[in-house]
Amino acid sequence: MNNRHLLRGLFLVVISLAFGIGALQYRIGHFDRAGPGLFPLMVSCLLLLIGIATIVRSRYLERVPLEFNYRNIAIILASLCGFAIVSLYLKMIAGIVFMVFCASFAGGHFNFWRNIKIAAGLIGIALVFQKLLGFNLPLY
Amino acid sequence: MDILHNLAFGFSHALTWQNLLFCAIGCVVGTLVGLLPGLGPLATISILLPLTYSIPTGGALIMLAGIYYGAQYGDSVSAITMKIPHASSIVACIDGYKMTLKGQTGLALFTAGISSFIGGTVAIIVLSFFAPMLGEVAFLFGPADYCALMLVGFVCVSFVTTGNLLDGLAMCLIGVLLGQVGTDVNSGQERYTLGFPFLAEGIGLVSIALGCFGIAEITKNLDNKDERTPFNGKIHLMPTWQEFKRIIPSALRGSVVGSFLGILPGGGPTIAQFAAYAIDKKVSKYKDEIGTGVIEGVAGQAAADEAAARTSFIPLMSIGIPENAVMALMMAAFIIKGIQPGPNMIAGHPDLFWGLVASMWVGNVFLVVLNVPLVRYWLSVFKIPYAVLFPSILFFCCIGTFSVNNNLDDIFITALFGFIGYIFLRLDLDPAPLLLGFILGPMLEENFRRALLISRGSFNIFVTRPISATLLAIIAAFVAWQIAAFVVQSRRNGAARSRVPAEPAV
Repeated sequence: MNNRHLLRGLFLVVISLAFGIGALQYRIGHFDRAGPGLFPLMVSCLLLLIGIATIVRSRYLERVPLEFNYRNIAIILASLCGFAIVSLYLKMIAGIVFMVFCASFAGGHFNFWRNIKIAAGLIGIALVFQKLLGFNLPLY
Repeated sequence: MDILHNLAFGFSHALTWQNLLFCAIGCVVGTLVGLLPGLGPLATISILLPLTYSIPTGGALIMLAGIYYGAQYGDSVSAITMKIPHASSIVACIDGYKMTLKGQTGLALFTAGISSFIGGTVAIIVLSFFAPMLGEVAFLFGPADYCALMLVGFVCVSFVTTGNLLDGLAMCLIGVLLGQVGTDVNSGQERYTLGFPFLAEGIGLVSIALGCFGIAEITKNLDNKDERTPFNGKIHLMPTWQEFKRIIPSALRGSVVGSFLGILPGGGPTIAQFAAYAIDKKVSKYKDEIGTGVIEGVAGQAAADEAAARTSFIPLMSIGIPENAVMALMMAAFIIKGIQPGPNMIAGHPDLFWGLVASMWVGNVFLVVLNVPLVRYWLSVFKIPYAVLFPSILFFCCIGTFSVNNNLDDIFITALFGFIGYIFLRLDLDPAPLLLGFILGPMLEENFRRALLISRGSFNIFVTRPISATLLAIIAAFVAWQIAAFVVQSRRNGAARSRVPAEPAV
């Protein structure tokens, strides 16, 4: 089951079904007066065909195991969302500090003083953006 | 003489202090970010796109173009010195890196710089001749022809970027479907918004681009954990006269090939490099040595690279259809700035068009001045450890996403697309065609519906109009060839596999 080619096909089929079933909710119309659902339905059908073709093809190709490393992507996404949440409830400077510290777990070598330096540098850049380039950043 | 007059007009716009400054900033920043590992032109442009929002239109486009060809150039520098290419400069690794191994890094970089300059210059001549001409042709295009042209673009881009038609087309279609999210312009119906009001205007392009190219790339590099050794060798730049003479013919050949391939749908720098390299291998005076690290192996592909990077603006600016993912991103930048690229752009905004063309040549000069004498300082970029780099890239992703609408919610969408981009990466699906599909999707739908409205629901319109019939025939021939190639290949593999067990197992 852990075959990248097969999973790729299944993934495409799932996406096509999600959008295709969604398209059925909207008015399809006729070809001369297309409704909002017609075009996405056609594209989903095409994608479904490609997904099925990919699954069929995977039988003829050599198996490649799928590697999925949850740790790094989870940390990166957590630091992004954390940045948004902290900026929302506190201020963006706190968000930047949080992001740098959270993201550095993914690097493997956690170093407090280096993180402080990076955060300070990034806050400096953010200030330049705000003051000189006219960005509307809620820094403090 | 019209062309000269137009170019003079363009230079009068490009050579204002303000625009010179934007061009210089674009080239510097583009080269800098392009040098960084894991960030090719697509990622570079998507990270830096939001920075141009507060700049006046002409300056912003000049700066973005500078970022693009700067990144393209920076990419080849890292390929030559350390053999870390991104998709856009694989060819530079072959002879360029071999020259570094021979201790001729300086010569390779000089060759690349000068050839890029020659390539860029030729491309600008082509651009100023062909873009207005092609703009006239574009007026003959009806909705059905536009549909067919976009489909040709999908097929070509899918094949060129992924080497596999099925995967690439799948990504294009996913992009088209993502482009459907939002309000349908014809009926006002909200599609796939799941009830979220912020999706009514569609998914933000910057979120998709940063998620799929920024976040996913960072995670890939973190997963790989490879430590690179920065380049510490000596750089001796100035070539001898003999060496210099060898650069010219190869660079000129590359420029012509690159300029031509840059115009075709699905074309662009990558395919141009391969073609120029292949031609040099066939016709060059030193063809037997190519592949072992010689000037010709670098000059031709570098010239083709820069030439194609510039001529790929032609279809975008004269027909209004971007031919590859980078140009799709450029088109989004044009639209954000309130300019609709297409046949009316040259007539409607001559200052922008000719200013941009002229600025490309100015940027060429900047690149040579910046990169040839100062290249050793650029290489110190590689001494920055990745642990410092990736929080900074993340920071730019955050600021970039936020400043599109001054809305923190957009960061969550970027994060979501970062995750989706990571899935794509692990499934070995290239997100570049997705971006093209996403930007062309709404245009494709509009033209498709309009074509069917004109023909009263009959699909004959796609085959009776000569332009669209020709384009669709090209697609059909291409697909048939792909299927035949796959069948032949799998037969051969099957035969090979059935032979293996016949050997005695010891």
